[in-house]
Amino acid sequence: MQNRPDLGAPASFTFPKPQRITVGGGTIVALDVPGQQLASLRLVHPFGGAVEPLDAMGVSALTSEALEDGPGGNSSLAPALERHGAEWIARVNWDGFITGLDAPTNRLGEAVHLFADAVRNPALNPDDVVRRREQLLERFWLDASSASTLAMRSLGGQLFTGRYATPLAGGPVKLADISPETVARFHADSIASVAGTLVVVGDLANVDLEELGRIVFGDAAPAPERPVTEHAPPPGDLPRVLIVDRPGSVQSALVIAHRAPSRSQVDLPRAEGIGEILGGMFTSRLNMELRERLGYTYGAGSRFDLRRDSGVFFMSTQVEAGTTAHSVTSSLEQVNKLRDQGVTEDELSTVRESNTVGLPVAYSTARAMAGALVDMVVHDLPDDNVDRIRAGYEKLTAEDLNSAAVEYLRPEEAVVVVVGDADSLREPLAKTGVGPVEVRSPESLWS
Amino acid sequence: MGTAGRVEQYTLDNGLRLVTAPASTGQVASVNLWYGVGSRHEVTGRTGFAHLFEHLMFQGSGNVTKGEHFDVVERLGGDINASTSTDRTNYYETVPTHALDTVLWLEADRLATLREGMTQEVLDNQRDVVKNERRQRYDNQPYGTALERILRLAYPEGHPYHHSTIGSMADLDAADLDYVKSFHKAHYGPDNCVLTIVSDLESEDVLARVEKFFGGIPAREDLPETPDPTLRAPLGGPVRDAVTETVPAAGVFIGFRVPSYGERGHDAAQLAAAVLGQGQGSRLYRSLVVDRPIAADDGGGSADILPFRYTDSLLLVNMLAREGVEGDVLEQAIREEVAKLANGVTDEELDRARAVLERDHLHSIASPSGLADTIGSCTQLLGDPELAFTWPERWADITAEEVRAAAANLLGEDNMLVVRFDPEPETAAETLQAEAEADAAAQAQQA
Repeated sequence: MQNRPDLGAPASFTFPKPQRITVGGGTIVALDVPGQQLASLRLVHPFGGAVEPLDAMGVSALTSEALEDGPGGNSSLAPALERHGAEWIARVNWDGFITGLDAPTNRLGEAVHLFADAVRNPALNPDDVVRRREQLLERFWLDASSASTLAMRSLGGQLFTGRYATPLAGGPVKLADISPETVARFHADSIASVAGTLVVVGDLANVDLEELGRIVFGDAAPAPERPVTEHAPPPGDLPRVLIVDRPGSVQSALVIAHRAPSRSQVDLPRAEGIGEILGGMFTSRLNMELRERLGYTYGAGSRFDLRRDSGVFFMSTQVEAGTTAHSVTSSLEQVNKLRDQGVTEDELSTVRESNTVGLPVAYSTARAMAGALVDMVVHDLPDDNVDRIRAGYEKLTAEDLNSAAVEYLRPEEAVVVVVGDADSLREPLAKTGVGPVEVRSPESLWS
Repeated sequence: MGTAGRVEQYTLDNGLRLVTAPASTGQVASVNLWYGVGSRHEVTGRTGFAHLFEHLMFQGSGNVTKGEHFDVVERLGGDINASTSTDRTNYYETVPTHALDTVLWLEADRLATLREGMTQEVLDNQRDVVKNERRQRYDNQPYGTALERILRLAYPEGHPYHHSTIGSMADLDAADLDYVKSFHKAHYGPDNCVLTIVSDLESEDVLARVEKFFGGIPAREDLPETPDPTLRAPLGGPVRDAVTETVPAAGVFIGFRVPSYGERGHDAAQLAAAVLGQGQGSRLYRSLVVDRPIAADDGGGSADILPFRYTDSLLLVNMLAREGVEGDVLEQAIREEVAKLANGVTDEELDRARAVLERDHLHSIASPSGLADTIGSCTQLLGDPELAFTWPERWADITAEEVRAAAANLLGEDNMLVVRFDPEPETAAETLQAEAEADAAAQAQQA
């Protein structure tokens, strides 16, 4: 065998500077990637789930689905795009309503006309909207038959009151109240008449961006300021344990979560850095303990879900049923150990290096670059955001991470959600002494 | 495509095949190794072994400690993983270019010296991890055992594709250290590997690096026997496996044997599958999700091909029933739609199918790692790396008549297998209890 080679010096990486063009009421943010034949278009409207009124929870998700019925109605959009080799993208998150297209650059022109028409002039036939709504309602339980999905969906009501307490798509009950008229009103007020911001990434050599903007924005108005929303916690002791009963489960899905600051409030390199050390990588503490030492799971991890006006930190895993209680205490021990003893020099350098020299890997596709630009648009971040964050990681110290562990990891405020067989889990989980244990059936979680 | 024609191929003296190709974004190197070993090489009593072995490849080798391989790559912000199928096992990393030598050295070390790093302790740990992977993906998931059931029906007892890649719990328990070492010796040699590197380096430079790290590793001395994948009799359908268990809705899985991957008949069958169930313009989506509607909305992904190189592939159709729809009703409707394909497809349907498949193909090669993987596949299985770029041309001259004929010849009942999942009938007492819980929860929330 050859000896282990020395790592050479990494090349410096700078995130390419996007072009910004104002066309009518909208803005285009574009990146030219020569040779990238598949272009990604993303139109961002600043209306996600967080700003939905409480009597219309799920309206953005349902509208997003209903757009797929197209200007002709009856699910005609996707087939029309498919003929151009284009893929319709529609995604709603808490902070944005995102539509888009992935298409070969040589067929972009034809596809964009269809796209613009689909966003601005959908038929929104009441029959179609009702069909989509019923499908979404049924899909809620189909998806939630997977233990990990059910655990994640159970979380909102444990950490928040208000909009965040109900799943993004309105959950299995509230969504039923959304009428076709509500969808039409939301679409007219928040999507059709609002230009939005268009992200374009791909080989743009033969793409006329101004023309693209005229087609997509038309005469729509600039986006209004977003309202700030409040999300108070629900009552109840912390920490506590909620078992969502799934009889006969051979594994338990665990989510240990607590509230976190919003995207603009956190010091990102410190927060995400400590999150990575705990559970963001294969070699992170949770995975090394629960998987590589104890053999309880196929994988364990943690991450922040940072929104414009709030945030969540969670650890998640699926473990062999008999190891559930020990998996909970082991996870919490890992957090406490990190808070008490801090990070190692090795962990510090891993976080620093992976988030600096690793950037070319993170941005090696048009989709990934489009994702970074969408993130900038949704969170009002500057064009050089990726480079600023990198600079933050470059100067990170062990002390920065140790203080972040205490500031951002709050096991004393955690809710432990366990989806599994309640009969066999209740006693061992109570014995852990983590906190009071409540058992609920999935059906009782949303009303 | 811009990069077609810029692929270079080399064969080292020890039989290792190297393919190089340029990346469309700079500063990254994607390394992908396809070893010609998969679950088709497993013998009775040893199922799941090729995959368990894949896990062990990350547990240390002669000059690398347990977990170090992951650590080195994650520290570089790189992507790293591996997967096992019936036909091959692949290992892959994407790293910043300056780390290419390090990754090549890590891969060479585990190819040459894995046996020196293997201990009973890591075997026991990874056996537990894989058993939890099995629970997570198969045993604790609704419909999770569908693939195993499909393979058991599709291929006779003793056939190398009769069992799934994950294997059985009992066989995993029986794995011992000596067998691990003999498996490595039998299958892991440079002569059984295609190494693909996608980067912005000159191909001669890449070749020199690969020679340096892999050139001294000897080829295997004794080649193992490969179980015979010949099918000696037609399926003799319809064959059937009916399961009643805890699932949220009736699920219908229908399969047909079709020609093996790489044959023109396979491409015709793939077009038939796309007409039938790829995209929202597909027949099954239009008919059973939009028009009737009796199937759950899967976004248009109800038919696809499970490709096998060395035996018949499988065309699979899968849909879940809407609430209140009996499994029999859905199954009958799907079978009718499938049967209609033998009456012919229109040119318009075929154009849409080609566009959808081409779009998916472009997606698969849009990232450096995806391109490396596709090249590895085309080289290992079909001996032609250029196919990674030209694959869509294979669909271009297949006529509507060929697709009709493929459907008429292959999608009949005599070549059909059906796996049906039906929910356990809910007892009256359970219904009452669930309703009472929901009522109580609703009242508690109102209070």
